[in-house]
Amino acid sequence: MRTLIVEDEAALREQLATHLKNNGFAVDAAQDGEEGLYYGREYDYDAAVIDLGLPKIDGIELIDRLRREKRSFPILVLTARGHWQDKVSGLEAGADDYLTKPFQMEELMARLNALIRRAAGYASPVLAQGDLQLDTGKKEVRVAGDAVELTAYEYKVLEYLMLNPDRVVSKSELTDHLYEQDFDRDSNVIEVFVGRLRKKLNPIDFIRTVRGQGYRFVTQQG
Amino acid sequence: MFANSIQKRLMITTTLVLVVFLALVGWVLDRSYTNSIVTSAEEQLRLVIYSLMGTVVDTGGEQEGERLEFAPGLIEPRLMQPDSGLYATVMDDHGEDIWVSPSALTTGVAFPRRQSVPGLFQFHSVDGAVARFVLSYTVIWEDVDSDYQVMFSAATDQAPFRATIAQFRRSLGLGFGAAVLVFVLSQLLALRWGLMPLRTMASEVEELESGEREKLSDAYPLELTGLAANLDRFVLHEQRSRSRYRHALEDLAHSLKTPLAVVRNALLDSQPDKDLLSEQLQRMETTVTHQLSKATPSGPVVVGQAVELGQLAQRLTRAVRKAYAERDIQVEVATPNPVLVRGDERDFMEILGNLIENAFKYTRGSVRIETFVEGDRGVALICDDGPGIPENRRREVFSRGHRLDEIENGQGIGLAMVAELVELYQGDLAIDTAPAGGAAVRVALPLAG
Repeated sequence: MRTLIVEDEAALREQLATHLKNNGFAVDAAQDGEEGLYYGREYDYDAAVIDLGLPKIDGIELIDRLRREKRSFPILVLTARGHWQDKVSGLEAGADDYLTKPFQMEELMARLNALIRRAAGYASPVLAQGDLQLDTGKKEVRVAGDAVELTAYEYKVLEYLMLNPDRVVSKSELTDHLYEQDFDRDSNVIEVFVGRLRKKLNPIDFIRTVRGQGYRFVTQQG
Repeated sequence: MFANSIQKRLMITTTLVLVVFLALVGWVLDRSYTNSIVTSAEEQLRLVIYSLMGTVVDTGGEQEGERLEFAPGLIEPRLMQPDSGLYATVMDDHGEDIWVSPSALTTGVAFPRRQSVPGLFQFHSVDGAVARFVLSYTVIWEDVDSDYQVMFSAATDQAPFRATIAQFRRSLGLGFGAAVLVFVLSQLLALRWGLMPLRTMASEVEELESGEREKLSDAYPLELTGLAANLDRFVLHEQRSRSRYRHALEDLAHSLKTPLAVVRNALLDSQPDKDLLSEQLQRMETTVTHQLSKATPSGPVVVGQAVELGQLAQRLTRAVRKAYAERDIQVEVATPNPVLVRGDERDFMEILGNLIENAFKYTRGSVRIETFVEGDRGVALICDDGPGIPENRRREVFSRGHRLDEIENGQGIGLAMVAELVELYQGDLAIDTAPAGGAAVRVALPLAG
């Protein structure tokens, strides 16, 4: 998952970035509204965490401008004052959830994961397709009830594909959303991951290769 | 401009009005007085002519002009006295003098020579070295064989009349001048007296600013009591929020010191007790949240728009619903009639926001929000079908003093904050069990107006 963090407090920004990276997210961190707007325009994210009190462009305005430019990724708002006025104006500007500082990282992760799931149309933290179950909380994958051992990257590929079902996902999109910006991107690595994933999930075969374009996660109906 | 003072404005306008008014009155008075003087002069001359005509005696002489004579004893004495100021003449229709009053003999009086229309008095003013009024009257003298015209003229010097008019004008001017003076002076006094309360208020407000005074005095005239009362309320509100702020800050500093000391000491250990640290951090967090919530509300405001609780509830519900979108919650918001309460919208947002969020947090699947007017109160009722709020927690919320510091649960602190805010607005908070079994929180606030 690729996330954008816009937070002006350096210490908190670093903590957030580290924590998200440790949880398998690719992270871009911006220190003010202007930088946040640039990132938000340039890249496609799965979610964003935006502080309301930002220099240069205020958090509310940043959200408003991103939404007006049809950026639809879920946004979690951080507010230090915790006033309802801030929360309501954040949500009215287009944010999807709020968190009052100080907060626990676990709480933030839970909210962020929930937002991403919600955006993909899953109601429960356990993404299920037929016999395949992916628990986003525990980061566990089960096939017909049996746990399947996956590496971190294999898990990320499967999660991303399950969150974008019935749609062709190109290899470059996968690398964009799974790796850090400055990471060496090699699409062959993705092919290797997908190949191993298919083997591990056998006999379930939800991942189709679309020649020359990428992969598609087909739901049972599809 | 010079008119930046109420006193000056009133002075200038009323004085201008007075001067214009007096000038008009003066002009009218002067005109009518002058007219009456001139009329009296004309009247006097008419009498002279009548008396002349009365003294004429027809001698029955052959020659024209020799037939008329005057009985001297009956003639107005001033006509017989040279340079007396009153003159008369009688002329025939050729303009030849038949008779000239002795008073006119040594004075060149310019009598009209041409016969005037018979039977009509002709009055005019003659300017010259000596201004005079002249009145002429032509009569047709009937004779046995022929009628002939004789013109009587009388003249008087204008000087005595002009002197009377001048005298009148002098006293008029003097009187008006005195009137203006008295008026302006009394106006000045009236304004000083009338505007004194404003001056007093200004200086009292100054004293309020410098802290020499806590409230305005009560001795204001009727027109200002409202303003003074409002100002007082404003100042009181200001003082209250300031002291609330100060207290909150003091409390905050005070209650942070202990956990800070504990943390600092714990860090001296080579292996700090993580549980202790996190417990102290939790304590600090609760303290900060609580004290801030105590310091920030504005409370009932003196100046401010009325807030419609229904709309606010709708707005907050929309927002909270968005944050709880992943849960399938049935929400019903009933706000049939506007419910207007006066105060800071942010405070009402805190009250309703916390209650609505709690309902969403604890419900099993259905939330109902209502706003309505009941007597002189605006009511918001928030119900859910969750586990409800246990009796002991309800009591905790209402018992003053011991509340927040001991409460660590999110709902507790939210509810306690709501309770404090409602109290600040002199409202009522009631916690009950909803028909569906969950919590039913009812907030009643004084209506605006």
